[in-house]
Amino acid sequence: MKLNGLTKHIPGTVDFIFIDQSKCNRCGQCILVCVVNLWRKTNNIISFSEDYKEKCLECGACYQVCEADAIDFHYPSGGTGVIFEKG
Amino acid sequence: MNIYDVIIVGAGPGGSMAAKTAADLGLKTIFFERGRKPGEKNSSGSGLGPRIWKDFPSLMKELTPEKCPSMRAGSAARNYFVNQEGIVAGYVMARPTESVSYEPAKSWITMNCYRSEFDPWIAEFAIDAGAELKTSTLITNLLKKDGKVCGVIDEHNNKYQAPIVIGADGVVSMVAKQSGLRTKWAQDQITVVPQYDFQASPEKIDDIMGDETLAVWWSAIFPASYQVFFHDGFHQGLGNWLNKWDKNPLYYLNRVINLKYYQRLLRILNAKPRELQSHLLPWLKYPYNTHTDGIILVGDAGGFPCPLEAEGIYSAMVTGKFAAEVAAEAITSEDFSKNFLSKYDEAWKNTSIGEDFETGEELYNIWKALPFSPQETMSWFVPMFMEAMGGIYDWSQPHAKRVRQIASQIKSYMPQALPFIMKYVIPLLAKIFEEDIDKMMDPQKLMSALPKLMDLIPKKKKPRREDK
Repeated sequence: MKLNGLTKHIPGTVDFIFIDQSKCNRCGQCILVCVVNLWRKTNNIISFSEDYKEKCLECGACYQVCEADAIDFHYPSGGTGVIFEKG
Repeated sequence: MNIYDVIIVGAGPGGSMAAKTAADLGLKTIFFERGRKPGEKNSSGSGLGPRIWKDFPSLMKELTPEKCPSMRAGSAARNYFVNQEGIVAGYVMARPTESVSYEPAKSWITMNCYRSEFDPWIAEFAIDAGAELKTSTLITNLLKKDGKVCGVIDEHNNKYQAPIVIGADGVVSMVAKQSGLRTKWAQDQITVVPQYDFQASPEKIDDIMGDETLAVWWSAIFPASYQVFFHDGFHQGLGNWLNKWDKNPLYYLNRVINLKYYQRLLRILNAKPRELQSHLLPWLKYPYNTHTDGIILVGDAGGFPCPLEAEGIYSAMVTGKFAAEVAAEAITSEDFSKNFLSKYDEAWKNTSIGEDFETGEELYNIWKALPFSPQETMSWFVPMFMEAMGGIYDWSQPHAKRVRQIASQIKSYMPQALPFIMKYVIPLLAKIFEEDIDKMMDPQKLMSALPKLMDLIPKKKKPRREDK
């Protein structure tokens, strides 16, 4: 199913997802569980989309699934981020 | 400095009930919401069960379609059974049965309502009671003095002071983390739940679904998926524990959507996808670390969703209410110690939620092993169940022969079914009926008796007179 137009965001300016490459073990679990495919592995480095503030559903699955504790996630600034009108 | 009696982080159903209760008890109360309004950050199945009306009657009688236009109540649920080939092998529609004891629950099973309407509605009660709601405010840390919690700090470094903080900040709880109650959930305590919302006209929904309000798609090719109908749309979602995925959760949700049967349903409902949502949902055998010095966790933050099917709004409301009552007692006694706040555990354990968690481990285990293990379990469960339900609808053989064929087919599933029954069903029944497993049913006897019973069914038809 096409996902275009199925999510709505008020992008903020403050970052809220971080990855610590020195802790990351490249297991790829974050790639597996992210519903909106924000994560990728290139040249054995895990990274996430630069435009994540316009796409992230703020579920926190990447943070919870990371057993290496390499991913830090907190909610975006008050009043910004994803909007669920029919949640 | 902003000084309060109690601070509540989060304005979902748990936070709002806590704020309402605290304000009703005369406490100076503030509650915080990171969204521009309560509910705009929340997605969930959004089914409200009759227990909410039973426990909060004066509140819930105020819930009307004028306040929450998406409301849709219904008295029936549908269970689809999808086999390994992705075919709907059958379905069962069920209404409240004769044993239902709570009168209103005889005529409806759930009331569904979008969180974007329900959460602001319930927050209004807290505001009316005198609690202060601060929206668009992200609380980022606990305020501590000499190592003791004494309030919270927001992202702009504004400080709010109170001797007790109620964490109603959901599954990724800052309050739980900063208080040291929990850094992260274990992988088998937390599910990820993607969900589509579809738009459909109320007339179509009523015409096609009647008074059905909910469907569960039990399947051998995806973890059980729920469908919840609202006034002008419906949710289709599914979840599983974080350590149970071998492919992206959305891949499995799309498997539901792409079923031929589902596509037909979308066509006749003239339904259009409207929103994609995802959330984490704690799903525990038993809540733990629910409080510490100056801190109480409620709802998802405390791991309270039902251990069987993860109903979360009700448990959030109940725990929110008790957390505020215990906070009020703590203020009166001037004792905010972990020991004093253990009154909170005593309180919720003595409720309907506490009773659910008494069989929490068994309920959790059976759910994990059955609907959330599509390949391992549902792959034989669906055909076995459908053999029993629908096997007789074959007119190509004499009826007696059909019965023998069905029995033989069901028997062929016993190597999988019997160990399953022994491992998951018997322990649950033993717990529910408060019986020792040995007393209730000797497992070895059962193991040996059942196959023998099946053997009683003749493999071959007895020779008929003229055959002799």
